[in-house]
Amino acid sequence: MLSFFGQRLGQGAVVLVLISLITFSLINLAPGGPSSAVRLDTTAEQREVLIKQLGLDRPLAVRYLEWGGGVLRGDFGTSMNGGEPVGPKLLERLGNTAQLALAALVLSVVVGIPLGILTALRKNSPLDHAVNGVTTLGMSIPDFWTGIMAILLFAVTLKVLPSAGMYDASGGFSLSGWLRHTILPASVLAFVMLPNLVRFTRSSLLEVLRADYLRSARAKGLSERIVILKHALRNALVPIVAMVGLILPALLSGSVIVESVFGWPGMGRMAVDAALGRDYTTVMAVTVVAGAVVIITNLVVDLAYTLIDPRIRHD
Amino acid sequence: MKTPLKLAALTALLLPMAAAQSDIDPNGKATFVTTAEPTFNPWSPNSFVESNLLNELLFPGLTRWDKNLRPSPDLATSWKASNDGMKWTFNLRRGVKWHDGKPFTAQDVAFTFNDIVLNKELGANQSSEWRNSVEKVNVVNPYTVEFVLKKPWASLPTYLGYYSGILPKHKFEGVKDPWKFVEFNKQNPVGTGPFKVVRVSSGASVRLERNDAYWGGKPKLKEIEFKIIPDSNAQLAQLLSGDVDLISVANPETLDRLKSNPNLVVDLQTQNLYYWISLNQEDPRFRDVKVRQALLYALDRPAMIKSVLRGYAQPATGPIAPIQKNFYTNKVSQYPFDPARAKKLLAEAGWKPGPDGVLQKDGKPFVIEMPTAQYQQLLPITLLIQQYWKNIGVKAELKTMDWNSYIQQVVVKRDYQGTVNWWSTPADPDVLPYYASSSAGTGYNIPGYKNPALDRLLEEGRRATSTSARKKVYTEAQELMAKELPYLYLWYPQMIIVKNKRLQGMRGVTQAADFQYAHEWYVTRK
Repeated sequence: MLSFFGQRLGQGAVVLVLISLITFSLINLAPGGPSSAVRLDTTAEQREVLIKQLGLDRPLAVRYLEWGGGVLRGDFGTSMNGGEPVGPKLLERLGNTAQLALAALVLSVVVGIPLGILTALRKNSPLDHAVNGVTTLGMSIPDFWTGIMAILLFAVTLKVLPSAGMYDASGGFSLSGWLRHTILPASVLAFVMLPNLVRFTRSSLLEVLRADYLRSARAKGLSERIVILKHALRNALVPIVAMVGLILPALLSGSVIVESVFGWPGMGRMAVDAALGRDYTTVMAVTVVAGAVVIITNLVVDLAYTLIDPRIRHD
Repeated sequence: MKTPLKLAALTALLLPMAAAQSDIDPNGKATFVTTAEPTFNPWSPNSFVESNLLNELLFPGLTRWDKNLRPSPDLATSWKASNDGMKWTFNLRRGVKWHDGKPFTAQDVAFTFNDIVLNKELGANQSSEWRNSVEKVNVVNPYTVEFVLKKPWASLPTYLGYYSGILPKHKFEGVKDPWKFVEFNKQNPVGTGPFKVVRVSSGASVRLERNDAYWGGKPKLKEIEFKIIPDSNAQLAQLLSGDVDLISVANPETLDRLKSNPNLVVDLQTQNLYYWISLNQEDPRFRDVKVRQALLYALDRPAMIKSVLRGYAQPATGPIAPIQKNFYTNKVSQYPFDPARAKKLLAEAGWKPGPDGVLQKDGKPFVIEMPTAQYQQLLPITLLIQQYWKNIGVKAELKTMDWNSYIQQVVVKRDYQGTVNWWSTPADPDVLPYYASSSAGTGYNIPGYKNPALDRLLEEGRRATSTSARKKVYTEAQELMAKELPYLYLWYPQMIIVKNKRLQGMRGVTQAADFQYAHEWYVTRK
């Protein structure tokens, strides 16, 4: 078990180095750069000064090694847009994104898994068809559109929820303020994630329901409730946990759009701003941290398998 | 008039005023939007459009613009040029305090210009422009400074009111790199403006509070918040839901919805901004004035304005916009939509129809490579131009890219044949940096246009100090530019500001000028 854990961590580290190398090369090879950012009226002379100030006149390899050395020491460098240290800011933004992603995940799981179970048990019923229709919509409508429509309905027309931001205008934290601001973006994010979860739960459960051991369980005279909850669901849960693991990276990438629409100060928006402004250090930090989150999540999901189904061993 | 009657008349006159005054909410708060986290330093090369307006509230300049967009006193109370125009003396306002209570003096002005703006190593915003004209700033006494120029610059007072805020010397003492002075630039700036920053919530908002010690009296608003909302649809939703009090609308298509909202008022502002097509003068085809004129005759600009801008613009005749009432003239060469004339001019320039309908000269088809950016309305405008030019046998090949890559290709590398964009400048007819032969290839002169006659006129304009002398020079310059077309002038767009009715006291001139008088704003009680 421990060797499996060590092996996976090692693989993860290699993947992270590769991600950083590819990202570093790509952003530096892309046309434009921090020195040509945004202003049409920056002159060649000013650009040269900026290139020197930002150290962009040095070889790519030297810059990468310097950056990597910094990261190993826990220093993500300073933003090319404003000189702020990237690390602490990223941590703050990651926390905000985690709050949004977690809220969306909870919503997806709480609504999605029961809906999946229900539609599996009532296969081909009107409820099954209705849920199927709604999930198809959820999968096909882009999240920015859903977001804008949600804002128009709940914030503009009904005026029951705020349309953007994370906290109340006072700027301070209050649970009610946070909840009010979280409902819309988390629901939109969940609406996009939900279809996969519902459908996967449904098909996973349907497959298990056909298994021989369930027939045996029923033949033994167990109640249907026990058969479903104790025997069927437990086995169906393994692929569902894997699915939740897959949803997390999707939540991170989905938050890029949702955070922009709802003005949520998270990592997704930080990534968009940094990419548009060619803030290389911030782009690198966001990519590596997002990559690490995905790798660690997958590892945790793998470990969770063994807890749900002890037959699975990571040797 | 008998006394009781007088009294009644006076009461009748004053009552509405009193009512209006009592409607002012003394604890009023206004909320604006900005697209990204601002940098609280008007000279930082990282301070872009998201920071400009906010910085106006924090860092006043020596001058600001009055209702007619003329430079009027702000931190300077009066100014005078020497007879040869090489030295300008500015008398500074006394009793002004920085947000941290320290007194504002001439040292701050000298520091801002000598150590920040004119420092070649720093590459501050607009610094090329300043370094081209200003030698140094001398402190004459604690309340007088002297701008020593390299060459006459009649528009100096105007430029001093154009995003040229003064920074506090005492805060920057011991700071090695002013752009990395994060504590100031990102968190706790210190200015002399009517509002001061009290809280920055990363990626979310910036909260400002009124500066009770503002020299112009206590600002009427107690608080201003800038929400950071990059998405224009989200901005619109915030305005409609009443969470934001003012936005500028880039896409006029949404205006009908906004106009029908009883809580909102649409304010159309003209400004010193013009859209243009730049034709690269490195390309010999575009050095022929007949070709440039033909390509402008081929465009139905009123129809383009109607379709892309929903009518919120007027065709441009040159770089001096009608808002500059003292200098603008439309008695210059005009280019109404006339495809027949366009074809005739191109034929005179040697372009003959080819077999595939595309004009040819020396066996080469008339194809224009046009990079454009996925930014605001640049793409739809370029697509329309492509259609109009196709009708006269000129093929435009579009290449769409993101803004940053576009800047790299068009401005840095000058690797383009034609492109569409706009200039926004202070409301002054001095357009020398944009047209001078000396800035072709590297500076603001994007087409790389060179014309000694225009150079002479623009230099003369910088030497002329009286309005009448300047008017004469710039009328001539406008005539020349309309005839020669260094750029193909498209239109002067109107800026569309939509605001909540409760927010009042704005002058409604241009947004930049409005933000220089933020202490006059107020909100009414609900």
